[in-house]
Amino acid sequence: MAPSEPAVTLDDVRKTYQLAETVHALDGVSLTLPRGSYTAIMGPSGSGKSTLMNVIGCLDTPTEGRVVIDGADVSTLSGRERTRLRGIEIGFVFQTFNLMPRLTALENVAMPQLFQNVGRTDRNERARDLLDRVGLADRADHRPNELSGGQRQRVALARALVNDPAIVLADEPSGNLDTETEAGILDLFAEFHDAGTTLLVVSHERHVAERAERIVHLLDGKIERIEALNDARNGSGPPSAGPDGTPPSTVGRDEHGGSATDRGTDQEEPDRGPDR
Amino acid sequence: MKPLALLRLAWRSIAGHRLRSALTTLGVIIGVAAVIAFVTLGASLQAGIVGDISPDDQRNVYGWAADPGTEGGPLAGAQPVVSEADLAALEERSGIDAAYGYAPLGTQAVATGDSVVPLGDGAFATGPTYVREDDIATGRQFEQGEPEAVVNPAVAGAFESNVSVGDELTLVFQGGETRTVTVVGITDTSEGLSPFEGFGQSPRLYVPTDPFYAGADSAADEETDGNESAEESEADGNASAPGEDDPGNESDGEAAAGTRYTAIVVEAPSADDAAIDRAKEQARSYLESDASDASALLASGELEIVLQTSTQLLSQLQDILGLLQNFIVGVAAISLLVGSIGIANIMLVSVTERTREIGIMKAVGAQNRDVLGLFLMEAIVLGVIGAILGTALGLATGYLGAQYIDLPLVYPLEYVALAIAVGVLVGVFSGLYPAWKAARTDPIDALRYE
Repeated sequence: MAPSEPAVTLDDVRKTYQLAETVHALDGVSLTLPRGSYTAIMGPSGSGKSTLMNVIGCLDTPTEGRVVIDGADVSTLSGRERTRLRGIEIGFVFQTFNLMPRLTALENVAMPQLFQNVGRTDRNERARDLLDRVGLADRADHRPNELSGGQRQRVALARALVNDPAIVLADEPSGNLDTETEAGILDLFAEFHDAGTTLLVVSHERHVAERAERIVHLLDGKIERIEALNDARNGSGPPSAGPDGTPPSTVGRDEHGGSATDRGTDQEEPDRGPDR
Repeated sequence: MKPLALLRLAWRSIAGHRLRSALTTLGVIIGVAAVIAFVTLGASLQAGIVGDISPDDQRNVYGWAADPGTEGGPLAGAQPVVSEADLAALEERSGIDAAYGYAPLGTQAVATGDSVVPLGDGAFATGPTYVREDDIATGRQFEQGEPEAVVNPAVAGAFESNVSVGDELTLVFQGGETRTVTVVGITDTSEGLSPFEGFGQSPRLYVPTDPFYAGADSAADEETDGNESAEESEADGNASAPGEDDPGNESDGEAAAGTRYTAIVVEAPSADDAAIDRAKEQARSYLESDASDASALLASGELEIVLQTSTQLLSQLQDILGLLQNFIVGVAAISLLVGSIGIANIMLVSVTERTREIGIMKAVGAQNRDVLGLFLMEAIVLGVIGAILGTALGLATGYLGAQYIDLPLVYPLEYVALAIAVGVLVGVFSGLYPAWKAARTDPIDALRYE
């Protein structure tokens, strides 16, 4: 692909479920995630966050519209090609870490390459390198149950990066972590972002979302608004009006009591925000 | 995904559930072990019987005359029909090396000095070559017309001091008469030398038909005369029992025609089929021709000459053994089936239990066939481990069993290969559905699965 081509392009994406009544989980979402961008998605339950993640993550196909990942139109791909694309171009970080319990940290990180038929030596070398980058070089041979939550999420992040994907999708990556550990993970995200990784983080917590360059607010399957943040990298100041003139959002901020500014010192994890 | 990587990952899951995997495998182990053990024992049993037929024995044709409708083993329903003259004439025919009679003697005991040893039906009057030279450990074959005997180790070792070549033994017949023989040879085994005797190990003593058969004949005359009619009617009316004929019965009948033999041995020049067939043909054509003494008795049509090699005689026995073995192996195979159901069951549990893991694998790029292969590989590994351990256990059991009932151990190697193949098949068979179910798991649901 051309370097200028975005990592992910959504073009009027709709996802409809036929339940008791027709549910529009995504109702015409158009979004472009440029290479190297850091985007957060916020929205209440049922706003379509998960569906959007699944669609971008090639786990699901849209009912209508186009999803282009790294130049490939997902809707035209067969299931097998989609799985392949997912393996190569998408890295997942889950709220519950989702590591393989019987595999060591190293093996967990190396696993996606296993399915791409990368040789064992290359696999392990790459995995060791990534574990080193997330600061877990000395935990390589530990199993997930021998690691703390933060360490597990670092392993998960390393795993997400192992195939050098077009985009890393993180679904509530700090949802199961205490505040301090959360900060560490988010710092790590920022670090990888600086290094050029494209990130998409779903969170209902303002202070997590504010680490991104912009926040996409979803409501009822539509993009309510896109909020650009001034200085996403350090996240030290409250966001002001974005470059496009969007006023700073107040959604979720009241509940967090300004935690975005000093989240490192939050004593208690605040309640889960407006969407819970 | 590469097979080796698949295998490694599958092994992880198996090793992760040690007890469960062990119990699952146990079902297959028991099934395979049972099949292998029974097959080994069956093959050993057959070898124990067939192996007793020495290569020299293969050129012997065993003959007797019996009612054509008679079922049973060697000598079943046999009647004394072949005379000395017939045997002499048979020996003259081309394609026949030797022909001689065979008759158990009604001995009660054998004695040397003060030492007396009971010898039930263990004395046989026959031709010199009946005891083959290869079978004689020390000494030589006896000669016709001489009071000589060849004994087997079970007889030689039965006395307080071991009997050796040159010693004299006293035979005590059922009539009370005694005869003294000189031991001229000792065989190397105590097993039977022909299907006439049976093949088990027991004390046996072989003497020439001349003078012992005729002699026993006269010695037993008084006794047998009395129950001749009873014996005759039994032989005619109850064809299943006559295998137990005592020598009195065999020799009592046609006194006018001289000594008649119930059983004869015709030796072909070699063991190949053509030679055997020719010897049979020669013997049959002579015995059924008017020239023979036997033909007069055969003419009635109630008796028919049976001529068979020991292999042929045994085939019937082997058929029965084979049937029995198939039955037992069939029962063992059922336990194998149960074992495979066990694998299928545990794999289904495993798939459900690891739904989330399946979701993770799919999320990070595992294709359906990777997941399918992984679970199938697990089932196959369980099956193969079960088959290998089961084979080892089965072979060990077969070995102990063969030792216990004193059989030559024969491992049917093709069955061992088959057992491994069965292990793979059991794995595939029982793993296919669970693996297919795992492969079809929707990653979105699976990741949400708690």
